[in-house]
Amino acid sequence: MPTFKLDDIEIPFEKGETIIQAAHRQGIEIPHYCWHPGLSIAANCRMCLVEIEPGPGQRAMMLDVLKWDAAKNDYVVDRKPKLQPACQQMAGEGMVVRSESSHFVKDARAHVQEFLLVNHPVDCPICDQAGECKLQDYYLSEQHTPKRMLDEPVHKPKATVFGDTIVYDAERCIACTRCIRVCDELVGDHMLDLRERGNRFEVVVAPGRKLEGDYTLMTEHVCPVGALTSSHFRFKARVWTLKEMPSICPGCATGCNMYIDVDLRELRAYRNRPRDNEHVNKFWMCDDGMMTYLRESEGRVLKASVRKESSREETTVEAALERAAAGLKGVQKGWLAVLLSAQASTEDNFVMVEFARQLGAPLYLSAKGPWKGDEILRNVDQNPNRAGAVAVANNAKVGSLKDLLHAISAGQVQAVVGLGTDIDADAESLAVLSRVSEVVLIAAHDGPLAARASVLLPAASTFEVTGSFMNVKGIAQEFRKALPPKGDAVPAWDLVARLGRAMELDLKYRKFKEVRAALAVLTPAANPERVPAADAPSTPPAAPTTPSTATNP
Amino acid sequence: MPGKTKVLKKPTRTLADQSYLVEVVKGLGTTLKHFFQGTGQMVSGRVPNAVTDPLAEGISTLSYPEEKRAYSERWRGVHRLTHRDDGSPRCVACLCCSTACPAQCIYIKPGEYPEGDKRRGYERYPVEFVIDELRCIFCGFCVEACPCDAIRMDTGTHMTAFDVKSDFVYDKDKLMSMVSQHGTQKSENPRHEPGDSGHPGIDRLHGGH
Repeated sequence: MPTFKLDDIEIPFEKGETIIQAAHRQGIEIPHYCWHPGLSIAANCRMCLVEIEPGPGQRAMMLDVLKWDAAKNDYVVDRKPKLQPACQQMAGEGMVVRSESSHFVKDARAHVQEFLLVNHPVDCPICDQAGECKLQDYYLSEQHTPKRMLDEPVHKPKATVFGDTIVYDAERCIACTRCIRVCDELVGDHMLDLRERGNRFEVVVAPGRKLEGDYTLMTEHVCPVGALTSSHFRFKARVWTLKEMPSICPGCATGCNMYIDVDLRELRAYRNRPRDNEHVNKFWMCDDGMMTYLRESEGRVLKASVRKESSREETTVEAALERAAAGLKGVQKGWLAVLLSAQASTEDNFVMVEFARQLGAPLYLSAKGPWKGDEILRNVDQNPNRAGAVAVANNAKVGSLKDLLHAISAGQVQAVVGLGTDIDADAESLAVLSRVSEVVLIAAHDGPLAARASVLLPAASTFEVTGSFMNVKGIAQEFRKALPPKGDAVPAWDLVARLGRAMELDLKYRKFKEVRAALAVLTPAANPERVPAADAPSTPPAAPTTPSTATNP
Repeated sequence: MPGKTKVLKKPTRTLADQSYLVEVVKGLGTTLKHFFQGTGQMVSGRVPNAVTDPLAEGISTLSYPEEKRAYSERWRGVHRLTHRDDGSPRCVACLCCSTACPAQCIYIKPGEYPEGDKRRGYERYPVEFVIDELRCIFCGFCVEACPCDAIRMDTGTHMTAFDVKSDFVYDKDKLMSMVSQHGTQKSENPRHEPGDSGHPGIDRLHGGH
């Protein structure tokens, strides 16, 4: 692999890569605003300027400049090299690039930074980006000096509503055009553009339109400053009180990698952010995926309950488990049906399959119905773990919920043990469940199925446990516990194992790692630990990949 | 080696010693001597008069709690939220104070001004502002952190002793009702509102560019 030198460090690169890309892959950050690894090159912020030494036998391109001489109290003629934007300059074999080690580069960055802040309102205390703002970071690392311009800064529209999800502040904008490029290149819809020039520029939505579609929040995600803010997260929290927890989006079968930002004082999730993964979601997530954190606290099953006649009675988990075990013991072998869930983790489904195997029960799978997918990220299948649930069944036949309801109406089922409440059926079609003597449901969320359960057990949501999903491509990915379980909720696999033990089955799982170990033996393909850690940097060292400026179709 | 032996004489007690009476009379004599000496000096004006002098003005003791000493300007008392001219809080709910608070006793729920309000976009405001004064350690970091001079500890008052714990949790209304030592609910530092004539800002419609 050819290399070039960046501040005396050898950087390998592939043909066609730019300096900033190659450095980024090595974990060396050259300050930049407008460059984004997933977008095309704009080279308009001028922050990434670097000095490239002339090759052997070549003359350096020098510029005449006036430099302030404090001793003479006047400007003197001086020369400085012509700097190049690292985001646009292709790397070349044996190139000598100076970034941190060149005082010309340090000077240029300080001045670019000062220019960007000339008309900035400096309203950091009320800006949502404060704490993760590149203007703040680079002020501290590159500028240090106070603003010299004494005039009143230019004032521009504030809190302009771009659409249902995005609010724009023109005063904070630095015209890096990342948001415009996201719309153009990721979505393929030219909804945003830049109006006017100089200090009057402003990002505007196409006339007669608003910022809409399934990827609007990505414009906010790429914004390096506080110009674009999400109307959901706006003014809700300060980023320095949030802690990022690596997770997997439970929204569809793509399995986008994400961070859940939680406040550990309030024990509450505040937002999702995409986590870079070259093999799955690259740098992006869809709006529905970004909003999955809301579901974590909505419509939760927090207490175990048992149906008595027509009403439900809340009880302890232990009492409900005893009641369920007693109800299920009377069921003859082969008359019990087990309902897996494509929304639950592989581990939950795995223990459920073990439970079914020991009882000789047929397997069925409940899942959400299809939604509108697209060619970018959104899979038609809304379920994050259909592949995982099928994989842990180990070639056993897995019927659908419709098959189960059909079997019930045919009188072939006496009792059902189920996981999850996300179903592709209306409440009326569930009426046949009244023919079944016992419906034990382990669920995190309320739903029509939960309303039909004779024993309802509270499971922890996927935000509250460690587990794994297998996406549509067959990649098993782990998500980590981000919050403690709410109410009486416990991990679903634990409830299944305890129910099994109450029924005198051989389900020994008491710790999560025991489930994982058994999963690795019985269904190695579904074990997330065999793939490299998903929270590695954006470009994992595995398998050579094309330069990531390539955009989605 | 045998040393020189010193024989101590055993003290003897006389009848006068054993009766105690003589010593009591001697002691009383000393007391009375000082009583008459002191009174004589006071009456003749040779020493300060301990009876009449405290009644004169300019002395440094106070009849606490009826009388209270004024605290220094920088003494940190119970918090107050300062007002703007229109009576709304100066606070912009930036959460800098709750971030700085080492006791984590400040809770703020920020809100946004509605569409059409002249402050929309420039500012946000506290929907809720709660300080748990029992948790507070009166360090003053919140006052230091505030970029708007919206929270102050210049009320010059102690925490009142309440019967119920929840009474120590001051909400926004309670904090806004507190007044400073000098009786004001505002701050002396000027504040410019967007759209005010005093506001240095010019917007797209009113600016010259």
